[in-house]
Amino acid sequence: MSALIDQLAPESGLPDDSHAEVRRRAQARLMSQGFPDPKTEAWKYTSLRVLEKREFQGIGQQAVPRCALPFAADVLAFDNGQYNPDASTLPDGVRLEPLDAQSLETLDYAGREDAFAWLNLARFEQAWKLSIDAPLARPLVLAFATSDDFSGAVHPRLHIELAANASATLVEWQHGQGEGLVNLVEQIHLNPNARLHHLVQRQHGELAWVQRTDVSIERDADYRFHALDGGGRLVRQDLRLDLLQAGAHGEIDGVALLDSRQHVDYHTAINHQVGHTTSRESFRMMADGTGVGVFNGRIYIARGADDSHSDLNTGNLLLSDSARINTKPELEIYAEDVTASHGATIGQLEDSALFYLRTRGIPTQEAMALLKFGFAAEPLENIENDTLRDWLMVLLNEHLGSF
Amino acid sequence: MSETVEQVQNLIQQRYKAGFFTDIEADKVRAGLDEEIIAMISAKKNEPAWMLEWRLKAFHHWQTMKTPNWALLKVPAIDFQAIHYYAAPKQKNRPKSLDEVDPKLLETFDKLGVPLHERARLAGVAVDAVFDSVSVGTTFQKELKEAGVIFCSFSEAVQEHPELVQEYLGSVVPYTDNYFAALNSAVFSDGSFVYIPEGTRCPMELSTYFRINARDTGQFERTLIIAEPGAEVSYLEGCTAPMRDENQLHAAVVELVARKKAKIKYSTVQNWYPGDENGKGGIYNFVTKRGDCREDDARISWTQVETGSAITWKYPSCILRGDRSAGEFYSVALTHNHQQADTGTKMIHLGKDTTSKIISKGISAGKSNNTYRGLVRIAKRAENARNYTQCDSLLIGKTCGAHTFPYIESANATAKIEHEATTSRIGEDQLFYCRSRGLDEEDAVAMIVDGFCKEVFKELPMEFAVEAKALLEISLEGAVG
Repeated sequence: MSALIDQLAPESGLPDDSHAEVRRRAQARLMSQGFPDPKTEAWKYTSLRVLEKREFQGIGQQAVPRCALPFAADVLAFDNGQYNPDASTLPDGVRLEPLDAQSLETLDYAGREDAFAWLNLARFEQAWKLSIDAPLARPLVLAFATSDDFSGAVHPRLHIELAANASATLVEWQHGQGEGLVNLVEQIHLNPNARLHHLVQRQHGELAWVQRTDVSIERDADYRFHALDGGGRLVRQDLRLDLLQAGAHGEIDGVALLDSRQHVDYHTAINHQVGHTTSRESFRMMADGTGVGVFNGRIYIARGADDSHSDLNTGNLLLSDSARINTKPELEIYAEDVTASHGATIGQLEDSALFYLRTRGIPTQEAMALLKFGFAAEPLENIENDTLRDWLMVLLNEHLGSF
Repeated sequence: MSETVEQVQNLIQQRYKAGFFTDIEADKVRAGLDEEIIAMISAKKNEPAWMLEWRLKAFHHWQTMKTPNWALLKVPAIDFQAIHYYAAPKQKNRPKSLDEVDPKLLETFDKLGVPLHERARLAGVAVDAVFDSVSVGTTFQKELKEAGVIFCSFSEAVQEHPELVQEYLGSVVPYTDNYFAALNSAVFSDGSFVYIPEGTRCPMELSTYFRINARDTGQFERTLIIAEPGAEVSYLEGCTAPMRDENQLHAAVVELVARKKAKIKYSTVQNWYPGDENGKGGIYNFVTKRGDCREDDARISWTQVETGSAITWKYPSCILRGDRSAGEFYSVALTHNHQQADTGTKMIHLGKDTTSKIISKGISAGKSNNTYRGLVRIAKRAENARNYTQCDSLLIGKTCGAHTFPYIESANATAKIEHEATTSRIGEDQLFYCRSRGLDEEDAVAMIVDGFCKEVFKELPMEFAVEAKALLEISLEGAVG
């Protein structure tokens, strides 16, 4: 594992800027903990061998792909991890500024599981603060793309704050090429009564993508997450929701589609820190070829957080004997007056359903595609915005055509 | 509702009824753990050389290991050198029959409701009673012998059936398995041995009763059950200990081997001393239990009712190696005061068409923490494997915790796995419904908790179902009818 330290976090070479002190501390933490190994509980099913084998070099010269979306939106482009103002438009009510040193001082990432968050804090090239002060009329797109010749390791950092009563739809469009590593950290804060709809549409090739998204939600604020994840050589998504005040609500819905040479690992945590908070989560994974899907969904209800309610369910389809699914829904409950539940299934397409469709004259391949679509579409069905829902459904349909 | 909570909380502070101490002269080795002690235990038991060699190998391996810390448990550091690894009630010679057993010992088991003597005849259950480190008597030897069944203490088995012990010992739980299994392998003093010959259905239920009596001792027993092809057996295990301020360690290993079409049903009512309401004293219960469905169509079923121990760390598991083999796990775990339990099961599907079922019910009260931790693993070649898991937790009071950590791993595209878990308190609507039918609150709570556990209780053999119910009554009197 020290090879990885040498590659990604050599002792020298920490940028000497206004964040130098924070960087130095983060580097020290990383060095003392090291990168996760197979014994690290949170990385039990995800090996870093792919990264160890890579040589990280330059971020590439070629042009990055641009997103073409079937709806009107404002786009903030992050090319090879760097903000590109020429390809971006900032709508009214939105500010993008370099993050001040103060906001980073109190950050703490516990334990060895978070080595990549420490790495980001030590090495980020740019750190941005995105402030959304008013309700936004149209979606704001964060377009993360890397070029074909990208072989670097970049550590973008983005803090997003929604002011009280603000509301926004944030679409993360992630299309990575090349063989590098993107290690993204997002800190999202919702002030009272804010609403954020956060969609992630991800499709990486050989790229390794590690992302930590921490969301803190205040009184009566509402956070919804939807993912349509087409995977990548190595994708790790940590998503943590902290329900900090009464009335806070969080939802996570997602579907990950995996084929050969893809590894997708979702670790989600919903923390009910106080009572009168609600959450729900529904996550589906479909693995074909030699794809490996990992899902770990935790619901935590703190002592005294009475009248908290949470439900999580995860469904998994295993379509090939060389694919693997590892899933672990968790409940950690310290309050009494709560309801919390989870359900998990792993299975395959139902023979009887297939038979039914075939008796109706639908050819096997088409029938299978229909059943897969029915399974994978479920978490996306509750997207309220018709345009966005249709967009993801079309993408899903296209993707399944290739399955 | 708050009144009910209060009532329940008052009632769960009931005294531990098996907490008495029997003043009997004990033969204890000095405290501490080294090669000399292990040799001493082995010598006391007049063991053959291979047995001592195996113990020493285990000991050396143990020395290289670290205490596991992955469970959701706060385990104070255990001083392994302060424990007496062997304690036995003093008897001149091994008694030939129960008539020669010290009446004080028999009285102890009588007090615990374990029928060793005439009452055994009525109950119709063969009992092996283990007092501290050794077995003090086994009933129904003659009847079992006629059926070809071997049911004796582990020490006897080492003497009388060394070839069986040598073949099977450590074949399911090797001494390298985990920290406490390694420790047990080095110092185990006694336990039960069961051998059911081919095509035999054991004529009666077999039972072992474990009692820790002496101070500062640990109990390290080892149970080995072998069911030859087509054999069937139902085995029951119970345990208690006196009330003491200090903690005592119990680290047992249970190995089950089920061959072709064999069936083993293993039921436990665990009632070690849980410590007082301030969390003082109690047994640390670190147990490795594993069954191996070694051949086709074998079946192993674990049922456990866990009410005792300050700390429980226990995962009775099934390795489903044979095609069409089946594993089951039924569990009720109750914790109150400062008890901590991290318990569950592992179902490892290796063979084709293997099935497993897990029903786990956790009840947490007081300041306790109760965790279900389970693993369902479907190996690549386990075609058509099937698992169903249900884990429910009931919370009583605002200061306890209930947790669920199921690991589900599948590498076969024909496997089907279902897992469900819920956590809640007793619903006010349920209580209201019962009360509107004229039940008082106490009876209503009783009925609801009883209903909550029913799926597991119905798996217990008659005698144990009664005992299990009575135990919940002690622990949650008023909550269980």
